Amino acid sequence: MNSIADSFYSNKAEESIDNEFISKKLSLTPSLAMPPISKPTAFLRAHTDDNTNPDCKIKIAHGTTTLAFRFKEGIVVAVDSRATAGNWVASQTVKKVIEINPFLLGTLAGGAADCQYWETWLGTQCRLHELRNKERISVAAASKILANLVYNYKGMGLSMGTMVCGYTKKEGPTIYYVDSDGTRLKGDIFCVGSGQTFAYGVLDSNWHWDLTLEEALELGKRSILAATHRDAYSGGSINLYHVTEQGWKYYGNHDVGTLFWETKAKEGSFNNIVS
Amino acid sequence: MSDPSSINGGAAVAMVGKDCVAIACDLRLGNQSLGVANNFEKIFNYDHTFLALTGLASDVTTLSEVFRLKTNLYKMREERSIEPETFANLVSSTLYQKRFGPYFIGPLVAGINSLTGKPFVCGFDLIGCIDYAKDFVVSGTATDQLYGMCESLYEPGLGPDDLFETISQAFLSAVDRDALSGWGAVVYVITKDKVTKRLLKTRQD
Amino acid sequence: MSNTIASEYGHTDTSVPIEHRFNPYSDNGGTILGIAGEDFAVLAGDTRHTSGYSINSRFQPKIMDLGDDLVMSANGFSADGDALIRSFQQQLTWYHFNNQNKKLRPSSAARLIQHLLYGHRFFPYYVHTIIAGLDEEGKGAIYSFDPVGSYEREQCRAGGAAASLIMPFLDNQVNFKNQYDPATGQARLKTYLKLDEVLNLVRDAFTSATERHIEVGDCLQIKIITKEGVREEFYPLKRD
Repeated sequence: MNSIADSFYSNKAEESIDNEFISKKLSLTPSLAMPPISKPTAFLRAHTDDNTNPDCKIKIAHGTTTLAFRFKEGIVVAVDSRATAGNWVASQTVKKVIEINPFLLGTLAGGAADCQYWETWLGTQCRLHELRNKERISVAAASKILANLVYNYKGMGLSMGTMVCGYTKKEGPTIYYVDSDGTRLKGDIFCVGSGQTFAYGVLDSNWHWDLTLEEALELGKRSILAATHRDAYSGGSINLYHVTEQGWKYYGNHDVGTLFWETKAKEGSFNNIVS
Repeated sequence: MSDPSSINGGAAVAMVGKDCVAIACDLRLGNQSLGVANNFEKIFNYDHTFLALTGLASDVTTLSEVFRLKTNLYKMREERSIEPETFANLVSSTLYQKRFGPYFIGPLVAGINSLTGKPFVCGFDLIGCIDYAKDFVVSGTATDQLYGMCESLYEPGLGPDDLFETISQAFLSAVDRDALSGWGAVVYVITKDKVTKRLLKTRQD
Repeated sequence: MSNTIASEYGHTDTSVPIEHRFNPYSDNGGTILGIAGEDFAVLAGDTRHTSGYSINSRFQPKIMDLGDDLVMSANGFSADGDALIRSFQQQLTWYHFNNQNKKLRPSSAARLIQHLLYGHRFFPYYVHTIIAGLDEEGKGAIYSFDPVGSYEREQCRAGGAAASLIMPFLDNQVNFKNQYDPATGQARLKTYLKLDEVLNLVRDAFTSATERHIEVGDCLQIKIITKEGVREEFYPLKRD
């Protein structure tokens, strides 16, 4: 009888993950509880992945359609605000841009909790870097902290597709794409999420380096609008940000419900819609 | 999600008022997350009897045509239009014929009996079990939301204008909480001698 | 004959340990609802406790008063919900010991709950959590959480079994979504609702949910947070 109980309480998988990933390498992160079985990931998938198991009990909120691009005057970041759990629209007011610190922004796509939690955690790591080195962290370093973190959890079911956007003296305006597979890419234009293709369509055909700030903000907003229209899992409202040497600045929340009809009237676009 | 009844998305509702009925549907036709068409009406009328069909789009189109055929034959034989109550039984038996390979749809019937003047609505499951209701019936990918809205906004004995307002508010707020429904809406308000069709301006996300 | 008995009662020794499908979760139904007003907040929930089609209890209140003018409810699998609330309360006690009984703000409580939930990222608490309180300016605050700790401050939120029935009603009646001024055609302006209006909405929402959801009913518990403190009210719901 004792041996049965023991097999539940001290578990190989639990120990190795606890020690190797959390206790030694990642200080300041809490230890994450594991189910007392040999394959925690299969367990997690069975209970939380609504793609493989549509009537799973725990529906993890998923976020969608975000973009960031570089141009002459810095970086524009635009995101939608819808969270869905299956076909249920869980929220229309999600903040998908996480203000890591006054100079760094992170976007949120995939598991809402994963992004929210690890990007705020990234904020603490960036602050510690400042205190230790008496200078602000580079975007490259910040994004790598996040990339290394998610790589440690690879295969365990984290789900995030994020863009770390910032401006430093030596780097200029910089965007890194980091996802939960461990991919980390530097680039000028990224769209992430289920509506990414629709956003790319608008963005690629209108983007050029010499965009003015006003044009760039409009383009970011317009690209997300296109995505919210066609993609069922994107919508709500659009949040806009501009990143410069002075840090980021917020350019407001734009409700798609009204913005769509304004845009249609102004541009004479979206002619597939009747009324 | 390969559930046939939620591939294309869509929702519908019907309500009873005082000497009137209203029936509403959305206009979206999608392929999973991708919105494909925004002019896909899910309400069909066979003279004064109205039928809403939600679910798998190919079955919606097919069945609407099947019922066109059947109501036309009925009209030729009986020399009068089919009444809502009769049509409901026609829908039921037609669906049950496909008991073991069903159409993936959720039909609603609404209308006013031209002989008695009585408003009538009813809903069905996909194999034809009739749900006779004296207040409202709902169907589609936003059923939960519609039940919540209708149960709280509905009151008996509404006139045509108030019924329109009630069904519209209930329908719009319900589909806004469903990713697969929306993209425009149509509302029919049916009285004994008049049918008004209104297009609702909705969110397009 | 003896052969049959041996094969039925005997047991085959396998090299790998037999692992049964591990399912530590169940669903105890129920629904909760939080609405924030200008100078108050309410958190309401039904008191029915179910498993499957059975009713375990008709009166098992799940809105907890945490002290510090904060109320909390974790709806879903009630054992996980209770465990979460108890670990929050323990953390709060330690916070009071370490900080001269300083009052915990709702925003800080929310961040703490995120950490408690995310701490179980790979073995989640099967709950939808909502807390209600008053912020530093005395305005009503509602924070809602998904099972693994993503959270957001909102004006209103329904959680649990009948969330999909109640939430669109709240969009319509609290945030006036899809409502237009008939004279101007402009969207109806957002205004704060008064406490009695909010309580009426809460009761309407629950009577409607009770009508159409089998896991909701029996009794409605409402906790109201104002600057005077936390007050509790109960109303009967249909018991069928």
